[in-house]
Amino acid sequence: MSNNQKKRNFQIEAFKPKEVVDPKYAEKTWKILENAIHEIYNHIAGGLNLEELYHNAGGLNFEELYRNAYNMVLHKFGEKLYSGLVSTMTLHLKEISKSIEAAQGGLFLEELNRKWTDHNKALQMIRDILMYMDRTFIPSNHKTPVHELGLNLWRDNIIHSSKIQMRLLNTLLELILIERTGEVINRGLMRNIIKMLMDLGPSVYQEDFEKPFLEVSADFYRVESQKFIESCDCGDYLKKAERRLNEEIERVSHYLDAKSEAKITNVVEKEMIANHMLRLVHMENSGLVNMLLDDKYEDLGRMYNLFRRVPNGLSTIRDVMTSHIRDTGKQLVTDPERLKDPVEFVQCLLDEKDKYDKIISLAFNNDKTFQNALNSSFEFFINLNSRSPEFISLFVDDKLRKGLKGVSEEDVEIVLDKVMMLFRYLQEKDVFEKYYKQHLAKRLLSGKTVSDDAERSLIVKLKTECGYQFTSKLEGMFTDMKTSQDTMQGFYTSHGAELGDGPTLAVQVLTTGSWPTQPSVTCNLPAEMSALCEKFRSYYLGTHTGRRLSWQTNMGTADLKATFGKGQKHELNVSTYQMCVLMLFNNAERLSYKEIEQATEIPSPDLKRCLQSLACVKGKNVLRKEPMSKDIGEDDVFLVNDKFTSKFYKVKIGTVVAQKESEPEKQETRQRVEEDRKPQIEAAIVRIMKSRRVLDHNNIIAEVTKQLQSRFLANPGEIKKRIESLIERDFLERDNADRRLYRYLA
Amino acid sequence: MGIQKDTVKFNVGGKIFETTATTLANAGRNSLFGAMFDDNWNLQSERSDEYFIDRNPECFAVLLDLLRSGELCIPSNIPEKLLYKEALFYGLLDHVRSAKWGQFDGNRLRHSRSIAGQAPGDGTAIRAGPDGGCCVAHGSVVHVYDWMLEEHPPINLDYQRVNDIGWIDSQGIVISACERLGRGDGGMALFSASTGELRHRFHVTHENQVKSYTGGKQIDFYYEPPGWSLGDADKVQWLNGTNCLLVATLFPRKDNCYISLLDFRDKSMVWAWSDIGSPARVDEKRVRDAIAMEDTNSICVVNEYEDLGFMDMRKTVGSVRWSSRSRLMKGKMPDEPCYPKLALHEGQLFSSMNDSISVFCGADWVLTSRLRRSYGGSICDFSIGGDRLFALHSEENIFDIWETPSPQII
Repeated sequence: MSNNQKKRNFQIEAFKPKEVVDPKYAEKTWKILENAIHEIYNHIAGGLNLEELYHNAGGLNFEELYRNAYNMVLHKFGEKLYSGLVSTMTLHLKEISKSIEAAQGGLFLEELNRKWTDHNKALQMIRDILMYMDRTFIPSNHKTPVHELGLNLWRDNIIHSSKIQMRLLNTLLELILIERTGEVINRGLMRNIIKMLMDLGPSVYQEDFEKPFLEVSADFYRVESQKFIESCDCGDYLKKAERRLNEEIERVSHYLDAKSEAKITNVVEKEMIANHMLRLVHMENSGLVNMLLDDKYEDLGRMYNLFRRVPNGLSTIRDVMTSHIRDTGKQLVTDPERLKDPVEFVQCLLDEKDKYDKIISLAFNNDKTFQNALNSSFEFFINLNSRSPEFISLFVDDKLRKGLKGVSEEDVEIVLDKVMMLFRYLQEKDVFEKYYKQHLAKRLLSGKTVSDDAERSLIVKLKTECGYQFTSKLEGMFTDMKTSQDTMQGFYTSHGAELGDGPTLAVQVLTTGSWPTQPSVTCNLPAEMSALCEKFRSYYLGTHTGRRLSWQTNMGTADLKATFGKGQKHELNVSTYQMCVLMLFNNAERLSYKEIEQATEIPSPDLKRCLQSLACVKGKNVLRKEPMSKDIGEDDVFLVNDKFTSKFYKVKIGTVVAQKESEPEKQETRQRVEEDRKPQIEAAIVRIMKSRRVLDHNNIIAEVTKQLQSRFLANPGEIKKRIESLIERDFLERDNADRRLYRYLA
Repeated sequence: MGIQKDTVKFNVGGKIFETTATTLANAGRNSLFGAMFDDNWNLQSERSDEYFIDRNPECFAVLLDLLRSGELCIPSNIPEKLLYKEALFYGLLDHVRSAKWGQFDGNRLRHSRSIAGQAPGDGTAIRAGPDGGCCVAHGSVVHVYDWMLEEHPPINLDYQRVNDIGWIDSQGIVISACERLGRGDGGMALFSASTGELRHRFHVTHENQVKSYTGGKQIDFYYEPPGWSLGDADKVQWLNGTNCLLVATLFPRKDNCYISLLDFRDKSMVWAWSDIGSPARVDEKRVRDAIAMEDTNSICVVNEYEDLGFMDMRKTVGSVRWSSRSRLMKGKMPDEPCYPKLALHEGQLFSSMNDSISVFCGADWVLTSRLRRSYGGSICDFSIGGDRLFALHSEENIFDIWETPSPQII
């Protein structure tokens, strides 16, 4: 016995489960399957479809292959089957890889695409055969399922092979570059190849294509945008950028992953817009300001839509627009030429506003932030001119006097709405109220207002804007007008008979306080008139006990019938003062200034103006003055102008009035406004302190300003004075410990 | 190629079957038959007029009938296991499973099988899996059964005593284990249901033991107010509708019962109830289990006599409205009583007491069915899932499976 044999005797056989299949049989089974995989690849490469494959590939029988794979898994040869599959498939993929590498030039992508389609077909068939393994062996052993395995192997052996990876990427990028220069490429093929990268998993698509694609695109657009910006004007540049952006979006929809859209548009936005934003906006002769000046809605809209895509894009446009509006607005309101005609001035503001409203609605998508910027700009420059409230009121006055004749109701509303819009920008709304009241009073008393509806409509608007308080006096004026009418009717029904055919009297009873009355001296009325007035006074006081009537002779008008030298008859429409003067000539041929002044007791500046309009206005000079001159002197003598002629029967003798306020008048109005503000500020302080009890100085100022904002911008110095005054009157006191604190005293 | 003829001939283990492509298409793509067709459900080859399949013809007949009618009828001469094996070969196992039993209805449950195990000692918990399997915890080992009630390799966490178990999905089971005295190990781990492999071990770092799991990763700890012991909770339940966690600490563990709803987004207790300060005769109304019912915004509790009580989740101060059924049950307590447990499934409330499970339905929770088996002793735990109800007995190591029969013929 040799040593060797002895050893063998001692060998202990490992325990074997009894139902082990002969490994040789497993080997044989695997050979059949391996052969089948070869057949599948070879035949598919030969262009056969699945059906023909089983039909023609003699040895292949699906049921048999399925059973063989099943048996291997059942008898614990799953591992062998799986690793065999991996190596066989890898072998084929290596060969496929060589044939793809060998493809020349443009055929490269086509070959890759064809092989990919083949591989997918083969993979489907292999998976069907190995379905049992896929379902049982793979999940319990944490292996990769057959289909995914096939994709992974393709990725590792084809896409990531050193000779294909860079070539594939370069080919794809080159094709995209070609397409960007305007040539046509095979988009179907591109789509298939990109789809393959996506099928291989998001990371393959991103790493092997998307990332370099974005980098190359960034370079491309950086260079291109540089070229464009040096050669194009702003409008053209934006057109080009927009076209590029749309091209990229279209490219994504044709053959890239939808998720890439945001990324590539980001690149274009950054390179073409964000990086050149300031240069574009400020471009000489074609930048944003020029677009605004020339109302280039299309270009502005394009700019808005492109800039909206990048951070700070819109704020850049907005800032430039705002400063432009402020500059032009400031020029407008401070231009002394403009200030000559208030109506023209306001019309300019409205036109400016219309222009920008149109731009915002047509080009800027009605963007709220732009509207706000526009509003704040207007607010800024309108208040630069302290006469704006007066001018706006004058504009309304003009419109309501004559401007709205023959204009439809809707158009009236539109004009009024526009005025209200300007009104909203005013900080000193109470100044506007002052002027508005004066102008309204004139309109009402002279009966010059065109449309009662329009007047009321504006008051309703003011009321909704500023509240009841703001308009209560204005409404009072309308009520007075109405009651006066009724009163006059009542007066004539009760006294009509006894008055006979004497002069007719129309009295407007104005409530003190509601109207902007100036205390004035009553002049001496002609005897006929004063008798009639007395009658009215006793009638009125008889019906309304406890009231006081005083005559505002400076505000009335009169119609006089006059016969001149050659018998020409005219009806003269004059003011009450003028009436008093003219009536004197019923009894006298010529009168000196002194005599007139004595007889009428009209205050001398008013008398001068009134005589001026009677004697010095060409075409309306019912009186003659000696000596002839423009101005009225104390020593002048007046005669009836017998030679007076006029084409019209009715002659309106206007009073020479300054429409715009003169400087001293302005000062006076201003002073009255300031006076009126004091009680309002005090009321606000008391209201606030009543609820807060204790508050420090800065907070009071802030709250008062806020509360009064809708009427005027309170001056902190004035507020401080009011606080002092309230302390003096024991409404408030200073805190003993902290002097900055105020305390409310109930 | 014209329209294919629809009939297909199979030779299965020597027996000829004739069927149609339409019938075979019912098998779906992911089956042997699916692979025989091309993308348009045309048969892939017509080489011969019949297909040979080397399988058991009786089982093929049963499975073919399943494809034809959607009904599963297993003749008594075919072992179920054999049929399942054959179904696995054809890729029809899912079809078999879904035809095996009907949609769950507590009032139509029939006892299907009882499975006896070898593990010593009392069962701790039983949990139904999402696709009809279950797992049972006995001491430190968890036994896993698939829907065919085949036992898989048991799982354990370092052989520590299991506190609770739960299914993450059809493939994952989580075990939470007690710490061994003085060792401070304990913890939670995720296992594969089919192989018993350890997949992931959760790192739980807290001085308290882990009593139960809620799924997901440990993000943070919630520190309970003193006296309201969350660490000792008997029951936790995640409420999907309100994103709150119900935590109940109950009688045997503590002298009083505490139930609270916790909102982890702002770490606050949004609802709470306790029986501290209840009238003196409480000992017959001691809460033994609690369950939140989000559909009715109420919390159901049960005492040791299987009286149900209800509380309104929307009221901040909860008071229990008891329904008095305990008279019925009194006087027949078994030798080894088990505390009642509650479960809710699609508007039906289940409560286990001693050796039976009661089913309650409707707005007033009327008792509609009672499930009882003659042997095995009291039910210590039960669970509903995968359209099945599993009940674990405490005296003998046995659990019952209750199923709803498949739909009636007409």
